[in-house]
Amino acid sequence: MAKSASRPAILPGSSAPFSQATRQAEPERWDTPFSKEMTEADVNLVLAHPLFITTRPERFPPSIPLRGILKNDARIRRFMPGEVIVRRGDYGHSAFVILAGSVRVLVKDPPAEQLGRRQQLRPSVWGSLKRWWQQPRFAEQAKTGGTPPGLRVGEGGEARLFLQDVPGVLDPDRSILLQSGELFGEIAALGRTPRTTTVVAVDEALLLEIRWQGLREIRNYAPEWKKEIDRRYRERSLLRHLAETPLLWNLPEATLQLIADATRFETFGEFDWHSAYHRGHKDDERQRLEQEPVIAREGDYPNGLLLVRSGFARVSSRYNHGERTDSYLGKGQTFGLREIVTGWRAAHVPLRSSLRALGYVDMLFIPTAVLEEHVLPRLSREQIDALRLPPEPAATAALHEPGGDSFLEFIVAQRFINGRATMLIDLDRCTRCDDCVRACAATHDNNPRFIRQGPEASGVMVASACMHCVDPVCMIGCPTGAIYRESADGQVGINPDTCIGCSVCAQSCPYGTIQMVALHDEEGLPIVTEETGAPVRRATKCDLCIDQPGGPACVSACPHDALLRADMRQMDTLTAWLHR
Amino acid sequence: MTSFFTRRLVLSLVTAAVAGGLVAAWLLGRVALRPVAMYTGWLLLVLLLGLTFFNARKKLPFIPLFSASTWLQVHIYAGWLACFVFLLHTGGRVPSGAVEIMLAAAFGLVAASGAFGLWLSRWLPPRLTRSGESLVYERIPMLRHRLVTEAEDIVRAAEAETQSTTLGDFHVRVLAGYFAHQPAWLAPLAGGDAEHHRVKLELEALRRFLSVREIQIADQLADLVEAKRNLDHQFAGQRLLKLWLFAHIPLTFALLVFTAAHVWLILQYSHR
Repeated sequence: MAKSASRPAILPGSSAPFSQATRQAEPERWDTPFSKEMTEADVNLVLAHPLFITTRPERFPPSIPLRGILKNDARIRRFMPGEVIVRRGDYGHSAFVILAGSVRVLVKDPPAEQLGRRQQLRPSVWGSLKRWWQQPRFAEQAKTGGTPPGLRVGEGGEARLFLQDVPGVLDPDRSILLQSGELFGEIAALGRTPRTTTVVAVDEALLLEIRWQGLREIRNYAPEWKKEIDRRYRERSLLRHLAETPLLWNLPEATLQLIADATRFETFGEFDWHSAYHRGHKDDERQRLEQEPVIAREGDYPNGLLLVRSGFARVSSRYNHGERTDSYLGKGQTFGLREIVTGWRAAHVPLRSSLRALGYVDMLFIPTAVLEEHVLPRLSREQIDALRLPPEPAATAALHEPGGDSFLEFIVAQRFINGRATMLIDLDRCTRCDDCVRACAATHDNNPRFIRQGPEASGVMVASACMHCVDPVCMIGCPTGAIYRESADGQVGINPDTCIGCSVCAQSCPYGTIQMVALHDEEGLPIVTEETGAPVRRATKCDLCIDQPGGPACVSACPHDALLRADMRQMDTLTAWLHR
Repeated sequence: MTSFFTRRLVLSLVTAAVAGGLVAAWLLGRVALRPVAMYTGWLLLVLLLGLTFFNARKKLPFIPLFSASTWLQVHIYAGWLACFVFLLHTGGRVPSGAVEIMLAAAFGLVAASGAFGLWLSRWLPPRLTRSGESLVYERIPMLRHRLVTEAEDIVRAAEAETQSTTLGDFHVRVLAGYFAHQPAWLAPLAGGDAEHHRVKLELEALRRFLSVREIQIADQLADLVEAKRNLDHQFAGQRLLKLWLFAHIPLTFALLVFTAAHVWLILQYSHR
């Protein structure tokens, strides 16, 4: 809840800048609770539950008491039979504890439209022609069709989704039953990964939903919770994650289990980094870098291999009195391996560069001793030689330009590295003809889905277009799941049928690429709500022309090869494009 | 990723090879007493129609008909080839009749405006990039108005605060006109920032009459002058990049009309 503010009387003749300032109490963590409806009686009910009986409140610091966490970071939700609790692919920021009733985890998802999603769009020439033929006369003309079946809006404006064929979908052979006292959704909440399953209420179920901040505190101060959450992660995800790491391929299962047991989980930075990103957007680059949490420091002994589980990290090295960015790491990439390999069976080699969290980064830490005992002896001489430290990190050197101005520094500082389809415009080639904008409008209801303007560096502009981020913070908090990924690593789209125009996604997007647009009817008149008369709005953004056979219209419409939708993880492609 | 140099080299060589082949065919045709003018005429018509379709492709972005970039490359090199075929078709003869002169003039103007546009679209964008922040063309009048208002507000506030008219006089004498001024149509080709430098030098020379506070305000005005310089560059450059098409496209349609008349006349009278 916002604190009341008081404005003192303006003193005549006073020129002190703070004398006329509006004064209010310093904002505190729980000023905005997860739910205003969580009462002390609810907290007592939760604390009496078997899952919390063993949790000792005295372990929590006085500033973050367990009661406070449950009161402010949790809420009790009642789900009706057949109601969808979480959907596979959605980005959640909370975990659930079943207080009463039961739920089922679906092994196989029902059809997309049953889950309030639209069928995956496929590119087709016929579809393109149809779109041209049926082009609306007015921009953002609403299509009649109504909300999809199963989607209901509750009293508080909260969207609730119900399955249509409950007995068929909740077949015991195709789903797993969870009952009172079970926890689910914690891996997605803490690991900032999409939900891996869909969970549906079987009967009337009472659930405690804990947002990630509260879950993190409970994990920190209640060892039994930490043990349980870590055990679940080790059981469900860690082995698979390690097995996908190229260095650990082909290891025997027992060895992999040994490594998994020795692996530590470490988290750096702020989970909701996009808020801090907005605050620090105009900071000096040196200040910004100093604020980034240091994960490993240049010159230190590499006591373990760091593996990025999610988020991004900046690799930098000292350059005279400053720090120069050498590269950045994303999901699945490792840090410190070359130093460990070079120092193995020889004199120890210190870390050649520092590693800093860019926003939020979730890491796995495998101790050097474990690697030296179980992994390195299994590698061939060629593999060892390939992993030794090179004289100069060549892959990124090309992105640095003479004169100190560097495109790499720019994309890391502005966090454009998050983009899977970042719109880059080569300003030395771009004739500002706006063919890209016109093509976008022609394929999207007469309204372009991007603005040909944005920050520039080294003659390249990053236009204001959805980047289809690796870490799509816009998807966190969408009440209806209208914003979704087409596939695990695919385009981020918005389902116009389920978007309720709440603008949570637009406010969350750190890059400001989601626009809220007012809808019009077939006569071009604005559509307004019956209750308040306010314009009905919908979130719109670039969908990468997913239904266009020729790919993104902006790219294919550019006559001068000035436009690229770049996957910022592919540094080689980016470097080649910059130096065409 | 193919470099621009490699692409240019390959396409130039291909065009040169095709042109060489056409010359050989033309020479052989002449020796064999074939109607080479008719052949080259039809070829030229096909090339002209093909070149015109580039504009149609731009209007249909949702149809997967290759990328606009591919079309532009074809347009450029087919355009050069069309110039070459035009020379073969006329045999280097200077046009004499009224229709012939109009047709040849239209072709020459279309080709010249195309070549100018190609040069401009490669020469100007890097200069706009180096000038400063990229601006959306449609927003420039609004930005210019904002600059004018901001400069007026600063000067008015300075006069009230410092009780001095130096900056106010300068604004009336120089700045007001400078901020309201629009660059000439061909200003980007002339290059240079003479007007901008003159204003900056005059503002610099004014410092000796200014108090410490007024110097701070003059610095703010200098920032606005700099912003105006970039705004003028972006406006004039982008205007020219759009304008050349207003010559190229209407001339193309005129050429098509003259060509249609030419073909009709040839078909009507050549066999009599």
